Amino acid sequence: MPRSEPPHGKAGDPSPDGPSGRRPLALAGEATLRQRLVARDEQALVELIEQASPWLLGLTTSMLSDQDEAEEVVLEVFATAWERIGAVSDEHDALLPWLLRIARNRAIDRLRRRRRWRLKLARAEAYGELPAERVRAKEVNEAGQPGWHVHESVHAALERLPPDQREVVRLAYFQGLTHSEIAQRLGIPMGTVKTRLRLAFDKLRLSLAAIKDWVA
Amino acid sequence: MSTHDWYIENRAGFVARSLEPREERTFRDHLVRCEECAREVARLERELGWLPMGAVPVAPPPGFSRRMAADVLDRPNRWRRWLPLAAAAVLALASGAAALAERNQGRDLRDLLLARESRLAALEDTLSVLRRANMVLQTQISMNGHQGGMLIFQDAASHRWCVIVHGLPPAPVGNKYQFWFITESGMVRSVEVNAEMERPAFMTLPMPGVAAPVMGAALTMEPVVNRSDEPRGPTLAHVVF
Repeated sequence: MPRSEPPHGKAGDPSPDGPSGRRPLALAGEATLRQRLVARDEQALVELIEQASPWLLGLTTSMLSDQDEAEEVVLEVFATAWERIGAVSDEHDALLPWLLRIARNRAIDRLRRRRRWRLKLARAEAYGELPAERVRAKEVNEAGQPGWHVHESVHAALERLPPDQREVVRLAYFQGLTHSEIAQRLGIPMGTVKTRLRLAFDKLRLSLAAIKDWVA
Repeated sequence: MSTHDWYIENRAGFVARSLEPREERTFRDHLVRCEECAREVARLERELGWLPMGAVPVAPPPGFSRRMAADVLDRPNRWRRWLPLAAAAVLALASGAAALAERNQGRDLRDLLLARESRLAALEDTLSVLRRANMVLQTQISMNGHQGGMLIFQDAASHRWCVIVHGLPPAPVGNKYQFWFITESGMVRSVEVNAEMERPAFMTLPMPGVAAPVMGAALTMEPVVNRSDEPRGPTLAHVVF
C-alpha cells in the first residue's frame, strides 16, 4: 500500500505561521492547554491548531483525497473542540485522539454523502490508498514532527497485521466503507469481514496500548 | 445467537463505523440502554484512539493556523451578520403586505382585517423561526457575473426552515430557480425561487414529509418544464450539515 504524498510538503517543515519552538502536545502539557482553552484563551486555540493540524490534515486528506474538503473538516473539528472543550468530561483522555475521532467521523460522513450522491466517486476510488508504505526519503525530516514516533508505532502495528486483516482495517477505518461494501469489494462473505475486523482490532488494541503519550 | 450477541459481534464494526446506517442507528440506540456495551465501546475507542495517526501527517499551508483560528473564532458570530438582511427581508414583506392591504381598501373591512391578521401571524411565525434557529447555513452563489447567496435558518423545534436567496438576477427565460432538500434517500423537490436583484426572496418551508433525515439543501437552475423528482439542470449552490 503506497502512502499518499503530503500535498503541501513535508510535515516536518517549519511552519511559517507559528512560533518556531513547537511544543509537543504531550499529556503533561495538555492539562494546561485544556484549561486555557476552557478559559477561552485564543492563543491556546492557535497553539492547539498548530500542534494538531498536521495529523488532522493527514488523516482527512488521505480519507477525502480533496485538500479543500480536508481543510473544511479540520475547521469543523477545531470549531467543535472550541465549543465543547468545557464539556469534555474525561480529562484523562488525550486531546489529539479526541480530535482525530471527530475528524474521522466527519470525514466518513462526507464520504458517505459523496457516495450517496455519486459525486466525486471516481476520484475517491482512484486516490485514498491509506496508511501504507512510508516514504523513506522523508523519514529524517519527518522525525522532527511532534508525535512522529506515535505514527511510527501505529504504522508498525498495522504492518504486523496479516494482509487480509490490514486491508479490512484500511477499508473500514480509513475509507469509511461498510461491511457489505467491503465484502463486495473483496469478494468475501460479510461474516468474514466482521471477523477480520474484530481480530485486527484485538491485535491493534494490544499494540497501541504501549502508546501512553506523544512526547517527541 | 441472542440479540445481545449481535451487539457484541458488531462492537468493532460500530467503532470502525462500518455498520450499515440503519444498523448504526440501532446500535447507537442500544448503547443508551446497555451499560456493558457502552463501556466496551468506549474502551475500544480509547484503546484505538491513536490509530488515525497511521495516516501520514500533512504540513499545513502557509498561514493555515491563523486563518483557521480566525474562522473558528468568527464562526458563532458569522450568522449574526445576516440578521440585518433577514430583518430587512421581513420588513419588505411586511410593507408589501401592508401596501397590498392599502390597495384593497374597497374590500370588505372584515375580510381585510382577517387577511392582515393572517399575514401578521405568518410574519410572526417567520420571525419565530429566525429567532429560534439552532443552525444557520450560508453559501455564496455566482450567477452571470452577479454575486449572491443563500442563507438557511433551521428551527429544529418546529421542523421548518427560513430560506433567503439574495443577489441573483431573475432566471433566464425558460428556466427557473429550484430549491431542493438533500436527504439521505436523495433529493426532494421543494419550492421554486423567484429571484430579484432588488430584494431577497424569502421563504419559510416545512421539512419534507419523507422518513429520511434532511442533510442539506441545494439550489439548481431547472428548465421550467422539468417537474421530475431529480434535478436536471446545473447546481448553483449546495449546503450540507
